[in-house]
Order: sequence, then structure tokens, then C-alpha cells
Amino acid sequence: MKTSKMNKMKQMALAAAVIFATVGTVNAHTPLCSCFDNGDDTITCEGGYSDGSSASGVAVRVESNDGKVLQEGAMDGNSEFTFDRPAGEFSVVFDGGEGHSIVVPGKEIVQ
Amino acid sequence: MKKTLVSTLAGAVLLGAAATASAHFQMIYTPDSALNKGGSIPLKLVFTHPFDAGHTMDMGQPEQFFVVRSRGENEPQRTDLLDTLTPIDWQSLTNSGKAFETSYQARGGDHIFCLVPAPYFEAEEDSYIQQSTKVIVNVGGEPGAWSEPVGLPVEIVPLAKPYDRWTGNVFQGRVLFNGKPVPYAEIEIEYLNHEPLLEKNAFAEKGQVAAPQDAFVLQTIFADENGVFTYGIPRAGWWGFAALGLDPDYSYEGKECSRDAVIWIQARDMK
Repeated sequence: MKTSKMNKMKQMALAAAVIFATVGTVNAHTPLCSCFDNGDDTITCEGGYSDGSSASGVAVRVESNDGKVLQEGAMDGNSEFTFDRPAGEFSVVFDGGEGHSIVVPGKEIVQ
Repeated sequence: MKKTLVSTLAGAVLLGAAATASAHFQMIYTPDSALNKGGSIPLKLVFTHPFDAGHTMDMGQPEQFFVVRSRGENEPQRTDLLDTLTPIDWQSLTNSGKAFETSYQARGGDHIFCLVPAPYFEAEEDSYIQQSTKVIVNVGGEPGAWSEPVGLPVEIVPLAKPYDRWTGNVFQGRVLFNGKPVPYAEIEIEYLNHEPLLEKNAFAEKGQVAAPQDAFVLQTIFADENGVFTYGIPRAGWWGFAALGLDPDYSYEGKECSRDAVIWIQARDMK
């Protein structure tokens, strides 16, 4: 009985440690993506992380509001992705994986 | 008559005391050092006494004004902004001084704005002052090279992010002369007590705090043997740090010139 209780406490402590570790990782490494209108019908999105690490290679999609993929690619060596401004409404998806993705609505993108 | 003269003298002495209590501070002012989104940001270059919004000195044509933009692991990019400056007159509570303004289109990451002003002749001391000044603006939270020297001859390099300080945090910086730490450098600290009104190119008349005594207007600390200083930030807003006389042999047009390094930081309340 006593051993079983100890084991249960150990399991709970371990679970708590895992949760803390997960939260800690997220907080220390938040994905960031800002997009800017270049004034020439192109848009540049700058990706990165809050600890300053590179987002080079992270997948980027430009999607219409009904979820259709209009353009796709990846952040370049400077963690940038430039694309032609679509005609209708759209969003930019910075796809850094689960918990590390960001959606930037096209209507919020200004110079 | 005699009484009037005594009163006048007493007034002059008081005014004199007030004038010496606050220090000359070169400012690069913008309202917000930590922006969520990029866009056009205003910049005002004013040489003044920030705590009491006092006498504002006439600035000459700056020697250098540039920004070093950096984001993540990308190589920092330097852009010259000298040609973008426009002369303005800045209204203090006591006079009007020649200053400059510009605006800058900021994108993500750190933007280290750097000013090397023209040496200012202080007639009362028969010497010059030149305060190389930095302010760091971040957009979107992604850090860049905020902790790296930009290579100014005299410079304060932050050891804590100058745009992420809560009220009550400490700020640490390292004082450099020609890239080397300056042991025991003297640092003066002043609070920007009167809000700069950008549309009017003037200070707000009302200050935010009243100093209980002159020593509080201009605080003084010293760096340690490694040129590192530490300051606990007691209030939200902009704080200026000026490391004084870092190049004792420096002269300009045959006269002594105090070569100072200034950095401005902004703290926010937790609320």
C-alpha cells in the first residue's frame, strides 16, 4: 500500500515535471512571424523565434479564406518568404509544427 | 531696495543650483521601444535636460546618424539615416533649441539607432561635449544584435535587453572606449520626466514626479572594474544613462571635449 502510494506520487511528480518542461520549452521558444507589404504587389514575411534562432526552412503557405492553398514555400536563409499579393482575401500560415504555427491574416498586412 | 536685491540674488543662486543639478543629455526619442507591429516610427533628436525639461541646447549638424537592423541570426544591416534628418525647433520649459527629426520604416527585430552629434560648445566651461547616443527599438519580439557593440568610439553596450525591462528590474550595461571596457566609469542617470509632445515639438509642462532634493534629479553611479554598471529601475518610462569623459585626451578645435556615451532604455509597469 505504502509502496503503491509512493509510486503514484513519483508518477505525479514526473508528470508535473514533464508538463513544466513542455511549458518551459514553449515559453523559451515562441514562434514569430510578421508580414509587410513591399508596396510593389509583393509581401515579405519574416519568421523567427523569440530566442533569436533561425526559422530558415520552415514551411509557409498562403491560403484563401476557404482554406485553398494559393502559394507555398519555405523561409529562406534569412528566414524570409516573399510572395505576390493574392487578389482576394487570404492568410499566411507559418507552419512550424504543432504549437509552433502562426496565422497572419492578409488584411492585417501593411507597409 | 536692498531687500529686493537680496531676493533677486537668492533667486539667482537657486536657479543656478537647479541648473547644475541636471545634466546635458542627448536624446533620440521615440514613444515606444517595443512595438508589436512595424511601420513608420517618429524619431526626435534633442539635446536637453530631460528631468526638468530645462534648457535645450542648439544641436549642430550631426556627424553620424544611422541604424543597425538585425533579426535573429541574420547578419546586422547598417543604414545611414543622416540625409533623412530635418531641422526642427524643440520647445523646453525655458527656451527653444535647434533639434532634428525623422521617421523610419521599421520591420521586425532590433533596430539600434546611433547618433554621433556635432560637439557642443559649452561657453561657461570653455569646452565641448559630444554624446554618442544609442536607443534600441524592437518590433515583434524577435531579438537581434541588441547586445553587440556597433563600433562607436565611445559606447554603452546593454547586458540586459533595453526594451524588455519591467519596472523594478535592473538594467546592466558595459561602458566601452574604442571597444574596451572602461573600469569605474562615471555614469549619470536621468528620468525623462516631461512627456515629449511630438506634434508640438515640445515637452509637456507637467512633470510626472517631483524630486525631493536636487541629488535625485541627476543620479550618479560608477561602473565596476569591468566597466559594467547596474541600475534598479524604479519607475516606468524612459531612462537615460550617460558615461562621462571616456576619452580624457580628446579635444575639438583646440579645446577640451568630453566624449560621453549615452543609452536610453524604456521600462514598463506590470499591469
